[in-house]
Amino acid sequence: MEDKTGVFICTGYGIAEALDINALCEVVTDECRVPFCKTVDSCEGPGLESINEDIRREGLNKVVVAGISGRLYSGDAFAEGVIVEKVALREHVVWCQPPGDEDTQMMAEDYLRMYIAKIEKMEPLVPFLPEETLDKSILVVGGGITGLTAAMEAAKAGYEVRLVEKADRLGGWLARQHLSVPTKPPYRELEDTGVDDLIAAIKAHPRITVHLSATTSRIEGAPGLFDVTLASAGNGRPAGEVHGTFRVGAVVQATGWRPTDPRDTLPYGQVEDVIRNVDLEEIVKRGGPITRPSDGKEVKSIAFIQCGGSRKKEHHSYCSSICCLTSLKQALYLRQQNDEAKAYIFYEFIRTPGQYEDFYQRVQEDPGVFPTRADVTDVVRDEDGGLVVSASNTMPGERIEVKVDLVVLATGMQPNSADGEAIRALEDAKIKAAQGDSETQRKDAAETVEQLKQHEGTTILNLAYRQGPDLPTLAYGFPDSHFICFPYETRRTGIYAAGSVRQPMDGLGSREDGAGAALKAIQCVEMTARGEAVHPRAGDTSYPEFQLQRCTQCKRCTEECPFGVLNEDEKGTPLLQTTRCRRCGVCLGACPERIVSFKDYSVSVVGAMIKAVNVPDEFDEKPRILALLCENDAFPAMDLMGQHRLRCNPFVRVIPVRCLGSVNVAWIAEAVSCGFDAIVLIGCKYGDDYQCHFINGSELAVARGDNIKEKLEKMALENERVEIHQLQISEYERLPKIFDGLAEVIDEYGMNPFKGM
Amino acid sequence: METAETTSAENLQPEAGESQPAASAPSGNGKAVRIEPDLDFIRLLQRQGGDSLKKCFQCGTCSATCELSPERKPFPRKEMAWAAWGMKDRLLKDPDIWLCHQCNDCSTRCPRGARPGDVLAAVRQECVVDHAFPRFLGRWATQPQCIPLLLGIPAALLAVALGLKGPIERTLGLSPPGGGKIIYAYTDMLPHWLLNGFFGLFSALVLAVIAASVVRFWRGMKAADASQGLVAPAKGLLPSIAAAIGSIVAHDQFASCTRTRWRFWSHACVFFGFVALCLVTIWVITARVNPLVSDGFVYPLGLWSPWKMLANTGGAALVAGCLWMAWDRLRDREQRGSYSDWALLAMLLAVALTGFAAEALHYLRLEPQRFLAYFAHLVFVLGLLLYLPYSKLAHLIYRTTAMVYAEYSGRGGKTRPATTGERKNVEK
Repeated sequence: MEDKTGVFICTGYGIAEALDINALCEVVTDECRVPFCKTVDSCEGPGLESINEDIRREGLNKVVVAGISGRLYSGDAFAEGVIVEKVALREHVVWCQPPGDEDTQMMAEDYLRMYIAKIEKMEPLVPFLPEETLDKSILVVGGGITGLTAAMEAAKAGYEVRLVEKADRLGGWLARQHLSVPTKPPYRELEDTGVDDLIAAIKAHPRITVHLSATTSRIEGAPGLFDVTLASAGNGRPAGEVHGTFRVGAVVQATGWRPTDPRDTLPYGQVEDVIRNVDLEEIVKRGGPITRPSDGKEVKSIAFIQCGGSRKKEHHSYCSSICCLTSLKQALYLRQQNDEAKAYIFYEFIRTPGQYEDFYQRVQEDPGVFPTRADVTDVVRDEDGGLVVSASNTMPGERIEVKVDLVVLATGMQPNSADGEAIRALEDAKIKAAQGDSETQRKDAAETVEQLKQHEGTTILNLAYRQGPDLPTLAYGFPDSHFICFPYETRRTGIYAAGSVRQPMDGLGSREDGAGAALKAIQCVEMTARGEAVHPRAGDTSYPEFQLQRCTQCKRCTEECPFGVLNEDEKGTPLLQTTRCRRCGVCLGACPERIVSFKDYSVSVVGAMIKAVNVPDEFDEKPRILALLCENDAFPAMDLMGQHRLRCNPFVRVIPVRCLGSVNVAWIAEAVSCGFDAIVLIGCKYGDDYQCHFINGSELAVARGDNIKEKLEKMALENERVEIHQLQISEYERLPKIFDGLAEVIDEYGMNPFKGM
Repeated sequence: METAETTSAENLQPEAGESQPAASAPSGNGKAVRIEPDLDFIRLLQRQGGDSLKKCFQCGTCSATCELSPERKPFPRKEMAWAAWGMKDRLLKDPDIWLCHQCNDCSTRCPRGARPGDVLAAVRQECVVDHAFPRFLGRWATQPQCIPLLLGIPAALLAVALGLKGPIERTLGLSPPGGGKIIYAYTDMLPHWLLNGFFGLFSALVLAVIAASVVRFWRGMKAADASQGLVAPAKGLLPSIAAAIGSIVAHDQFASCTRTRWRFWSHACVFFGFVALCLVTIWVITARVNPLVSDGFVYPLGLWSPWKMLANTGGAALVAGCLWMAWDRLRDREQRGSYSDWALLAMLLAVALTGFAAEALHYLRLEPQRFLAYFAHLVFVLGLLLYLPYSKLAHLIYRTTAMVYAEYSGRGGKTRPATTGERKNVEK
């Protein structure tokens, strides 16, 4: 189809007062040869209607609207099929530059040139829809409270569900509990767990198929196209025996937790009658009074020792969030059995989040419950069979001891997860150790095998992914995700982690998590069926295309993709699984051969924007700074900078990028050869508490900084001309300082010698 | 306000920090203390006004707030921990429970809704019961259902004394008082020999009980301190007593409370009214043998006699103080007061009001009402005297002893003038 391009320039919002609108129109029509250019007095409400009217009447299919920030338009502001780019003349130019200034005018003109160049390179988007039908059913792995809830919620919403449980019964840990802590106001009395009712409802539901004593021995494919192989988990049938295969659209991993091992820090297993909270739960669930394992004597006093195997630097340094509640609950078991019984709770901090505080207070007020901060120093057996617990730094005294019948260690939670990346590394190392090229290589590989051997045989999902058979983990074995903003997301599209495998939580939290993950899974199958991306570029219908005939099998894309989108053939050629893709463009940034491109975002699209900037020659003393800003935080921070009327360096030209990880070194080279004097890349915070929406994009950009340096060295330019920063959206006031810093660098090193060449 | 509070708390009490528990007893030999919580004691305290004792989570706001608490091992934080853990022995031998004057500044500031002021009051009551001899009288004094019994005892004793009057007079051939002069007085009903002898007997008994309690309490405190390695007294006994009495008379502990500042005045009314009445009583009783009294002492005293005026003023102060206290307890839900608290107020009011009634009816010459009023007055006075070591009035004994002990052992009163001003500013 013939391109019909048009430009609308908004004169409202003080834009006409600050800029020479006629000159801008001349740039559009005379310089850029855009046939249609019109001024409008607003780009909202009636103004927007008139723009849409013009687009329709003129049959425009590529449009630039220069006015307010693109973030202020709703998704349906313009007709479908029209490529519209918005230039934030107000926020990025008028609000942060002196009105009527020559440099202000130059900046506005450059932005028009850049975006006109951009739309000229952009092609219309066609959603990715494979020939096969995309499946919308949901696989739930794990039949604990989270998995049960996820299955029930998804089924209620009308989706077919497959629920796979390793054990021979449903219910997980919650079904093993005698009673649950209170889950509703006034949070005072223990409750039935309610799990039996849920199990009955699951079994009766027509859309839920339950597979007990089963595991997933293989999951291959991608969202909408996952092929699951089910195998026996033992329990009567030979383990590993294949039960069958089926296809699902998305997966919820709710594999739950297992108790932390308190052996390292506490005398568990060495002294009789020192048991774990899960053991006490079993004793109580069995019925009858609580008795001592050693001699069956009725227990009249218990010392609970909190943080059994958790919150220790050498162990699990995180808080498991439920152990305090469990001990409080179990103290009530004892107290309700015998009014003269005593329950001591030795803690470092009591943690009963949210409304559970009320439950804590209720238990604390029981005359026979004695909670105290304490460092437990010793647990020894008395001559007459009791246990003496010694503690220091307690509330009632510097050093105290109490005699009890039973000691209960409040062991914490560790996730039933597997570290997919480590397992893959182990497999690779094993191969290398056997077939390595040199003796040292084989030795190093053998060492790696030794280090990673605890991951041997830990796989759960058995994903057929190049980057490993399970979800990548971040810390302590919890699956990696952008957990603050997007709790159930993982680094495998269409696979959502929920419940205590994701983060330690109680039954109530697990129910919430199960429901949340079910909704994410539904979102995924629905959006995938429409050819749209899921979070965080939800609804994006662009997708990467690889010109494989130019691929050199360098494997950078397959290794660096944060979401494991790309599998490989034997030679290392990437095999794209498009519905796994989140459209971040990290592959585009990685590829040295520039074979990856999106229809609206590619080496040439951004390159055209860079080239479109009018760079004055050296003697004008008007340097140019190229700023490549991440769309998620740094670029919106530009809007905030404008809204706060912060003065910004007039020589900066900003281009938004999908992720700093999508920045291709070619753009840097392009900018240098175009005469830009300095370049800045601003992305999100990275590290263990990263804020990058694409996990490691901004970290990759820093790692690739070496390539950039190499490039600059080749051109005999100073490394200082390129800077990489991390910025949160709330740090908008740092932006002008960063730009000014670059201006100082230019002052120091002078103008780019390639200017005008 | 938050910041100022936190800062002052930190400055004041390094011991109240999270790492060092308030109750850190400097266990000299480093041996762990075996704790066996006394559940009955906890339940007892909870029943007797200390129902909030388990709410404490040892933040130390109470100790930081308290104007009376010493810097070293401040109260009431450690007492709250001991109470929650049912550590009866340690609490009952703790002088600090008596250094508290229950202004409830701590209870007002407690972030957890615990009321250390009320808990300490309950502990004090148990301290009185525990040191009482005989023990059952101490327990009776805490139980409302014992009121008839407790009032019946002095009434019966007085009735017996009155019944014995005739036979004794006949046996000893005593002449009626007044030497034949007709004086309109109570002496024909209750002659001075009988009154003085009767009250003298019971005063001596009560004094003996008090002495025994004081010695036991003192020894207990000393033993508790000794077990924690504190032995050397900081001051002589006499200077300690002088300091404590001076502090009591000046009422300076009440003056430092912030929330219930008025208690300085109401307690002063009751205290000095009571002292005035005691002085007059002693004066009258000893008139016959007191060389300071001129021969012309005529009983009853005239309305305008300085002694009578002192007695009437004292009585009025007592009534006013008691009514004030009662009103404030009724008005302020935060200061509801315990049973023993109300019992003492009622008793004092009854003493004062029956006293005034006897006086008024006497001047009105209403027979036999004046005798009935006088009898009732004597019953209440005797009750007050008899139950002094068991009722809330026992705070006279124990608080004084504890204050003397605090001076003696170097525990001292408050020593933080520098921060008092700061806190008051904060308050505004």
